[in-house]
Amino acid sequence: MNAIQNQTAPRREGMLDRPLWAAVVGLMGIGAAFIFSATGNNEIARHAAWFDFTAVRQSLAYAFGIGIVVAMCFVDYSRLARWSLPAYWASIALLVCVYLFGVERLGAKRWIDLGPIQFQPSEFAKLAFLFALANFLSRPVGELASRALFVKALGMALLPFALILKQPDLGSALVFLPMALVMMLVAGVPRRLLLRFLAAAGILVSLVLVDVLFAPPSWRFVRLEEYQRHRLLVYFGLDFAPAGASDNERIAARAEQEKKSYNVKQALISVGSGGLVGKGWRQGTQGALGYLPRAVAHNDFIFSVIAEETGFFGSIFVLSLYAVVLFSGIKIADQARDRLGRILAAGVVTLLFTHVFVNIGMNIRLMPVTGIPLPLLSAGGTSVVCSLVAIGILQNIHQNRRHY
Amino acid sequence: MLVLDQINRGERPLRVVAVGVGLGLLVLAAGLWQVQVLSGAKYRQRQETQSFRTVRVPAIRGRILDRNRVPIADNQPRYRLDVYLDELVPQFNQTETLLRKQLLAARGASNQPDPSLWQRLAAKFSRQKRKPAITAEERDLLKRQARYQVVSGIIARINARLGLHIVKSEADLFQHWRQKRALPFPVIDHLTDIQVAILTEQAWSIPGVELDQVPVRFYPNGKLAAHIVGYVIRADEFDEEDRAFDYRLRDFTGAIGIERAFDRQLRGTSGAKSILINSSGYRHRQGEIVLDEPRPGDNVVTTLDSGLQKAVESSLAQVAGDERGAVVVLDPRNGDILALASAPTFDPNMWIDGVSAKDYEPFLDPKMKPGFNRATFGYYAPGSTFKIITALACLDAGVLTTENVHEKMRTLGFYRIGNDTKKDTAPPGEYDFRRAFIKSSNAYFMDHAMKLGLERLLAMGKRFHLGEKAGLRVGEEAAGLFPATDEVRGGGSKSYLADVSIGQEITVTPVQLAVAVGAVANGGTVYWPRVVDRIEPADILSEAPTDRIRGGQVRDHLNLRPEYFDIVRSAMRDDVGSDEGSGARARVKDFAVCGKTGTAEVKKGHVLIDKITWFASYAPFESPRYVVIVMVESGGSGGGTCAPVAQRIYEYLHDRERSGTAMGMP
Repeated sequence: MNAIQNQTAPRREGMLDRPLWAAVVGLMGIGAAFIFSATGNNEIARHAAWFDFTAVRQSLAYAFGIGIVVAMCFVDYSRLARWSLPAYWASIALLVCVYLFGVERLGAKRWIDLGPIQFQPSEFAKLAFLFALANFLSRPVGELASRALFVKALGMALLPFALILKQPDLGSALVFLPMALVMMLVAGVPRRLLLRFLAAAGILVSLVLVDVLFAPPSWRFVRLEEYQRHRLLVYFGLDFAPAGASDNERIAARAEQEKKSYNVKQALISVGSGGLVGKGWRQGTQGALGYLPRAVAHNDFIFSVIAEETGFFGSIFVLSLYAVVLFSGIKIADQARDRLGRILAAGVVTLLFTHVFVNIGMNIRLMPVTGIPLPLLSAGGTSVVCSLVAIGILQNIHQNRRHY
Repeated sequence: MLVLDQINRGERPLRVVAVGVGLGLLVLAAGLWQVQVLSGAKYRQRQETQSFRTVRVPAIRGRILDRNRVPIADNQPRYRLDVYLDELVPQFNQTETLLRKQLLAARGASNQPDPSLWQRLAAKFSRQKRKPAITAEERDLLKRQARYQVVSGIIARINARLGLHIVKSEADLFQHWRQKRALPFPVIDHLTDIQVAILTEQAWSIPGVELDQVPVRFYPNGKLAAHIVGYVIRADEFDEEDRAFDYRLRDFTGAIGIERAFDRQLRGTSGAKSILINSSGYRHRQGEIVLDEPRPGDNVVTTLDSGLQKAVESSLAQVAGDERGAVVVLDPRNGDILALASAPTFDPNMWIDGVSAKDYEPFLDPKMKPGFNRATFGYYAPGSTFKIITALACLDAGVLTTENVHEKMRTLGFYRIGNDTKKDTAPPGEYDFRRAFIKSSNAYFMDHAMKLGLERLLAMGKRFHLGEKAGLRVGEEAAGLFPATDEVRGGGSKSYLADVSIGQEITVTPVQLAVAVGAVANGGTVYWPRVVDRIEPADILSEAPTDRIRGGQVRDHLNLRPEYFDIVRSAMRDDVGSDEGSGARARVKDFAVCGKTGTAEVKKGHVLIDKITWFASYAPFESPRYVVIVMVESGGSGGGTCAPVAQRIYEYLHDRERSGTAMGMP
């Protein structure tokens, strides 16, 4: 196959999906620039060493990720897929490790400490799951109608889902559901099974929400962390105080609510005050004055910083770059050589889209606050490398696409 | 197109994915449009509200100058020492960490046994930090303590350097922190010159401490013209214009006199600056934006003459006894007030930092009332000085004529009206008008008043606008008591008429009397008196217009024949010039002073409780340029107590004229 590609010039030109990579490079540039905007002033004031600058670390993560992508492209994805099951179980093992020995930050155990860097296994688990499920579903379409197989596939999704939910990281856990759903849809799982799954998931989620939001404490079956419950309450604009609360409790609850809605409120002010054209690079005040908390401005809320400084035009430009990545992914799925490639590409598109939608949505109060990073833009090594690997998978499928 | 291709072509499941992704991105774009474009202004507003504090910056107060532009009220730079809290935030944090460790150590030692080996290993292995056993309230308290520790430490260093013992309470600091966090914390309000020298000569190294300079009202001559110029006090209440501001810097407002009457012009237009604050409420570095420069207040140029004013005040101060009195010096040609003094007086500088209890004590004395402007606001029976007006009324009515002024009348040392006997201070004897005037015979004037009648007497007083405010435009002014005929109870008895004719039962202010004597001196023009000449912009080069208050504004004409004035004026000249005149002690060599003495009696029932002594005068006889009214409460007599005061003032004026430094044009 590779030999054939190498024989003709047009094929060689088609090795690289140019729009895709142009958008990716654009996003990486924007990421480095605005992470510097969000953290630079503070780091300059602190006299941090140049290699300690978050923007520099992010750039190193980009370089590292690109390196992995280049390496990956020498191996056909179907070969990689053979390692999917061991990878899947390795990721499950890592998640168990997090549960046992993970580093706790802000009340959640999500990281494994590897000395100078910290590693977030849930990101890796998403990729491993992607490969494993795609590999599993790439069998002949006829077999997919089997209910046992469907349950197995669901089980593959629910195992990491449960482990990540336990961290707790509701946002990352929920990403597994749309991924599973879309990959099964593209694989050709019968629609009735999918609809049934969708209905069941819908009912389950609504029951959970009702339970979490409205039930008195003794009636809560779903044990969420208090902060998660609060985030959901903030999102739905509900009162923190329980129904029969006394005045004092109500005042305390209101103060608590004020505190908990702080990030959301400040993110919204950041995005909104950017207006049509923004305040200019490094001219945003929300981060500089500390209203947008320093701990989140450069990672979960980096979009607020970009939106404040570049305005609506800038936000739409970023959104367009993501659109190019996502639709290139769909095109790659369409042109994939085999069903594995198509399912894999669709999974990657879903993974990226979910992150983009949830993260940007959270910045404009369209979505509740979760710790889901914005692919390529949020500061964070694991997220960057995993996003680049995901895009590397698209590239891999693209260069091994079917020929007309 | 990439997007449409994928939605239209391709396999069905992939088309579903493409439509889903497309819709999702459209929803995000719509959300961004809503937040950034439709609600952009709202969020921008919110962002400004939370990160800016506006501060009202008072303008430099205008000066009050005398007619030669000598400042009577000025501004002087004042140095203050402030602590800028925002520069101390790192220190606050360090101290707080230290305090927290101490607290935890104290707790750990008392509550928890040593962890076992296994527990320690597990803790190390999981890298899990034990949750700090500190509640949010405790943390706030620790922060508060830390702030106070840091600031106290800095104040201690300042104390050590200056040899002071300043203590700021924790409550002071906390209140400042809670309400004015973005503003510097004031430590010393008023540094002496020596302190400023110490602080500026040594290398200045205490972090967060800065020397700030503010211009503050200053009266260079202290007590000079304190009553008419007035003083300022701290303005504490917010007025309507200030509500838009978060903070307001210290400002002053005029309390009395010109300071109060022209407060608006003197104050100028306050400016505004905006302080950028961070999420902790502290001032952000380089975060001050001046929105509006304050426009300095206008200068008020008065008609007063500092030199004369000084002479007047020292002359008045030389009166023996209590020194309760007033002097008005007025230019009869146009009504300009050249000097205006009231005693006892006070130093207006003492109000600026808030008056001390000890300094304020005299102000509570109901008899002395040092804050009370006796020249404009005090009203007193004019006594015999009113005989000037009685004489003019008689002449106008024909009771006295150019012929019968020489007729002599025999007086008995008293005057009887029905059963009532009125005393006469002049000895019994033969009196024509001139002698009656200069010896101040009550019997002569009462007898003529009987022929004149109350109505015509009061009407003449009204022509001088007695009973109405003189119209100085400086606030504290009294109208005095001078009724119209129909306001007098029972139409007025003969006894009442007799009393009025010698200046009892009615009251005037010294300024009113000055205007009246001025009208006699200038031949019948009643002027509006004037103490403020113009309001000019602080910057002389500025384009802003100067607001002139026209001088020599005529209020009324007396419309009397000139020979009547001649009769009264020569009598006034003789009162001083003749040896038997009651005002002889006001005589000045080569300067023809004309005057009339007065001693009014203040009675409670029939008991004499006090005397008001007067000397009403003008000079020189040939071309009157000065009116001098001297009033002293509880004096001996007009001639004995007040005439010497006037004499010293005329000496001064005469000396000045001779040396060629005449009163300049204002």
